[in-house]
Amino acid sequence: MDSASFQFVLFGLAAALLSNLNRSRVWRSVVLMAASILFLWMLANNPIVFLPLIGFLLLGYAGLVLIERGLAKAWVWSLLAIILVYVWLKKYTFLPEGIFLHSPYFTLGLSYILFRVLHLIIEAGDTSEKRHIGIGAYLLYTLNFTTLVSGPIQRYDEFARDQFALEPIVMGPRTAGLQLERIVRGFFKVNVLAMLLHAVQEDALAQMSQPLPLAQKLFSAFRLAVVYPFFLYANFSGYIDIVIALARLMRVRLPENFDRPFSASSFLDFWNRWHITLSTWLKTYVYNPLLMALMRRISFVALEPLLGVFCFFVTFFLVGVWHGRTSEFILFGALQGGGISINKLWQLGLARGLGRKGYKALAKNAIYIAFGRGLTFSWFAFTLFWFWADWKKIDKVFTAIGIAQWLGVWLAIWVSATVVLALWEALRAALLSIKTSEGPVLTSRYARVVYASALGLAAFVMTFLLNQPAPDIVYKAF
Amino acid sequence: MSDSNSDTQQPCNREMLPRRDWILMPLIGLATIALVAASTEWIARQLFSKTKTTFESRLVYDDPSKGVRAIPNSTTWCKREEFPLLPYRFNSCGHYAAMDCGPKPQGVHRIVMMGGSFPMGLGVAKETTFASLLPQALSLQTGRKVELYNVSMLFRSARVLSLRTDEVIREDPDTILWIISPRDVEDVSVVLPADFMPQVVEKQVREKPIGLLATIKHRVQTALSLPAASVPDVLRAHFQSTETALMLRHCLYESQSQYVKSYLMGSDSLAGFLRTDPSTEWKRRVQDFDNYDAVIEARAKAAGVPLVVSFFPNRAQAAMISKGEWPEGYDPYKLDGELRSIVTSHGGIYIDILPDFRNISNPEKGYFPVDGHPNPEGHAIIADLLARELTSGAVPGLRATEQNQIVQERGR
Repeated sequence: MDSASFQFVLFGLAAALLSNLNRSRVWRSVVLMAASILFLWMLANNPIVFLPLIGFLLLGYAGLVLIERGLAKAWVWSLLAIILVYVWLKKYTFLPEGIFLHSPYFTLGLSYILFRVLHLIIEAGDTSEKRHIGIGAYLLYTLNFTTLVSGPIQRYDEFARDQFALEPIVMGPRTAGLQLERIVRGFFKVNVLAMLLHAVQEDALAQMSQPLPLAQKLFSAFRLAVVYPFFLYANFSGYIDIVIALARLMRVRLPENFDRPFSASSFLDFWNRWHITLSTWLKTYVYNPLLMALMRRISFVALEPLLGVFCFFVTFFLVGVWHGRTSEFILFGALQGGGISINKLWQLGLARGLGRKGYKALAKNAIYIAFGRGLTFSWFAFTLFWFWADWKKIDKVFTAIGIAQWLGVWLAIWVSATVVLALWEALRAALLSIKTSEGPVLTSRYARVVYASALGLAAFVMTFLLNQPAPDIVYKAF
Repeated sequence: MSDSNSDTQQPCNREMLPRRDWILMPLIGLATIALVAASTEWIARQLFSKTKTTFESRLVYDDPSKGVRAIPNSTTWCKREEFPLLPYRFNSCGHYAAMDCGPKPQGVHRIVMMGGSFPMGLGVAKETTFASLLPQALSLQTGRKVELYNVSMLFRSARVLSLRTDEVIREDPDTILWIISPRDVEDVSVVLPADFMPQVVEKQVREKPIGLLATIKHRVQTALSLPAASVPDVLRAHFQSTETALMLRHCLYESQSQYVKSYLMGSDSLAGFLRTDPSTEWKRRVQDFDNYDAVIEARAKAAGVPLVVSFFPNRAQAAMISKGEWPEGYDPYKLDGELRSIVTSHGGIYIDILPDFRNISNPEKGYFPVDGHPNPEGHAIIADLLARELTSGAVPGLRATEQNQIVQERGR
């Protein structure tokens, strides 16, 4: 069962239906646990392959219990052990090949389980807050099928607030309707939009190594760079739409993971809108403690802003590195961290040069915002080469045309992104300004029914066609 | 619309919908679906229209010993979905050739081309087929008058061609050119399309379900007068037959990667020839091809006419070669290599044009995306590749003159 397939949606809806048969927290927890185990079983129906995952979860729980029992030192050792075992299970390529397990085992969602387990251990080690988490609650939280594969990364207290509430959150026709519409939208994004964008990207990649006239090659390079961020957005945010809606139908509110990221006017702003739960997690558990620790040790006031820049670099370097286990992701991390740091330095420099008022005025300027948006998009698109390609492909792509030509392509991307995204923002604002007494017409329940029906039909038809073989010669003649 | 839905805890009364909405909203949904579906189908029918007259109306299917033939001196205008409206004219011998049958003019090198619908030029105006373009290129490059008489016809399998080789020789060729497509090998032994074979029709009538479940299903369907296929199957088949499906496929298959992906999802009979380890069925087909080729080559040899064979890739194969990479377990060159061995082992000349597709970007643009036959762009590519290979010295009498060769090289 694919994680955003029709079967997954049906499975989630069936679990939600069962969960709503009774409002008691025990019943809802039993249904969630059963659904999560069944989901895992459908992904790999061989108990042996789950043994490393079970070991990882037990290690996390053991650490949690030791901390709860007052073993203060267990906090650091648990964190280290969890991270090391994670790196080992994920087979990070900087480790020697010989130490890995060679029989196949299940690691899907392990990266997200890592964040949940680390979060529990760090919070347990925080002396200001003491709570007991039973093994049932621990497993429900870490294996919740709605967040298992690709997040979003939910905090335990938020999960427990909804899942274990004596009186579950309201679920009426209006909420149910909104969630169903969101599922359709998410399904369309993953299974139609992302698939089509992926095909465009693959074609552009193939054309980069084909004997084409220069103009066509430049256009292929342009498409290759521009399409992937949209593909990634459609794919990931579509999946997130589906799981947030399914969880909500099970009366659990998952945190939002995207907030119109391509509207961001700076790279700092971008990471407040893209994979929000990941960047929030790292800001909470890396950026803040690191900055505080550095500020305690380095007391020069003049250096404080630079310490912030350094902490941003470390945090977003880790964001990048976490995404993969090969050396490409180290550069991907460096480019994320570098982008954020330069953005911060730019802000500091402008604020110093223009004064606070002057900088604020500039930051509100529509043209400055539009160019910032275009640059943010272009930089993100550039960094993504180290996300989707290996070194061999990167070499092939970047040597397909000359450096000057690539610079021209990136300049064209910047200008195009500036214009297109600005037009999109203007169009969106204009459409949302058409209002009735209940709010914008476009977000009314009637409008939602219209586009959910249209998208649903399109998704159904296109999913069918994309999963069908190309027909035999229609005119059956040989 | 932002990524998120506003989902704060709503009071229960705000959750309720007005009573009218329980009727209105499903109606809006249904109306939207109906409107979108109907308008898409209407647009698709405008863009991919077809005439009531079909090309097949000019064909005769009553000869199970020698296969399909065309009605001599007949013409029909027809248009299929992706094809333009075209006249299909057959000459007095029932051939789809640009000239009438008859004795060859003196001093002319006559190539008689045989094969199926690919070399026939189905869906393309006669003057833009490679059957028309090739002799012009050859005449230019060899410095002598070359003409091509096309006897290709739909449903001309290797078996049918082995039965009709004498007809080809009767046209007084200096060279016989046989263009093979993957489909010719797939249907290597077929004489008539299945619908016209008496024994197949009889078999279809007699066919009974095998297994307990299938038997029960069959009996229930018979008792309740239900269609033999399940409801989803019927719906699927119905959708596949709409012009909407064709239009969407046409757009989807414009993408090289999507088309290759979709093509490789196909059954063994369709994509099996691309596998590195072909099925027994494909091995049998290649073996059958070997047998029929032996017969054809022997007859050509007896008539003293060189037989030149060339394999023209289908759309997916051409895309894979051009892309330079394909999934594990596939090899687009496999069948080509096997055919080359077979043809040369019987003494024929094999013109290998497949490797040239490596240097053509997006060669799949040379085919109709859904139908799979070459379009005018594809015919121009074939003409160019064949002219280059035929004049390279492999075929006696068609070697390019030294001067023309230099001009040709410079032109490239």
